[in-house]
Amino acid sequence: MRKKRDEIGDGAEGLGPELGRLWASAPVPKAPSWFAARTMARLRREEDSRKSWFGMPKWVLIGTGLALLALGWFRWESQPTIRDAEVYAALNALVEEDRESRWWAGL
Amino acid sequence: MAEDRESKIDDALVRRMAEGDEEALRELIVRHEDRVYGTVARMIGGAGPDAEDLAQQIFLRIWKAAPKYRAEAKFTTWLMTVTRNLVFTFCEARARRLEVSEEIVDEEAEETIQRKESVAARTPREDLSGKELIEAVEEACAQLPMKQRLVVHLREHEDMDFSEIGEILGISELGAKSLMFRARENLKIKLSAFLTEPS
Repeated sequence: MRKKRDEIGDGAEGLGPELGRLWASAPVPKAPSWFAARTMARLRREEDSRKSWFGMPKWVLIGTGLALLALGWFRWESQPTIRDAEVYAALNALVEEDRESRWWAGL
Repeated sequence: MAEDRESKIDDALVRRMAEGDEEALRELIVRHEDRVYGTVARMIGGAGPDAEDLAQQIFLRIWKAAPKYRAEAKFTTWLMTVTRNLVFTFCEARARRLEVSEEIVDEEAEETIQRKESVAARTPREDLSGKELIEAVEEACAQLPMKQRLVVHLREHEDMDFSEIGEILGISELGAKSLMFRARENLKIKLSAFLTEPS
């Protein structure tokens, strides 16, 4: 029967008996006996490093800190500024008030 | 049937992991450590600290991704897909590192050529020790392109079918078969000295 384009050939299903035997002669390494214990220890180390301060994730604390800093910065920037003219006007008003008081007191 | 049951056990463990059960992860590791470690070692060219580190990373990634896991495919397919991603990234990074240091590449190539010559110089039927054969197979395996190496390993060692292998590699079933065919041809050439039938 003529082969169709899609048929790859006799190698398609595997290496074949002889090559397969050769391939199998090189053993696949097995995990060392401590592998599971070490992996679990690594998992705990990673989880601990993520939850380090006050049992909270680092990113939550860092994020909160940054948010507070940003809030402080914006509030500082948006507080009302006092111009020199306003200061002089206020001082003049005080002086004026003082003169009037003196006049009423007959001084 | 047995495969289905195994798959259900894995799915149940992943569901427990999604709820934060570390004991479930430990059980999952015990069930699949040889499969993952073996695949990693085969792909990166041997067991050792790198293989252990990569295999651990695979299980930690599975742990992190457990809440998003949907049991649409077999668990082992997902596990091997994660393995493939990490191993390919590792191999590509290693290749880039070696490219930067040309001296190291030269030294390694020289060493490989010397080893190849020492293996090829012997006629296997006259003097075939198990160690030499293993060395030759490992070398032939290391010289295969990454995808071909993975296809051969998954097919020959993990006994997976081509549709599953295709899913792991993100290619069609036919594509997986084609990779297997090319791997077979490459291995025939590289191991011709050890084959009795004409290639």
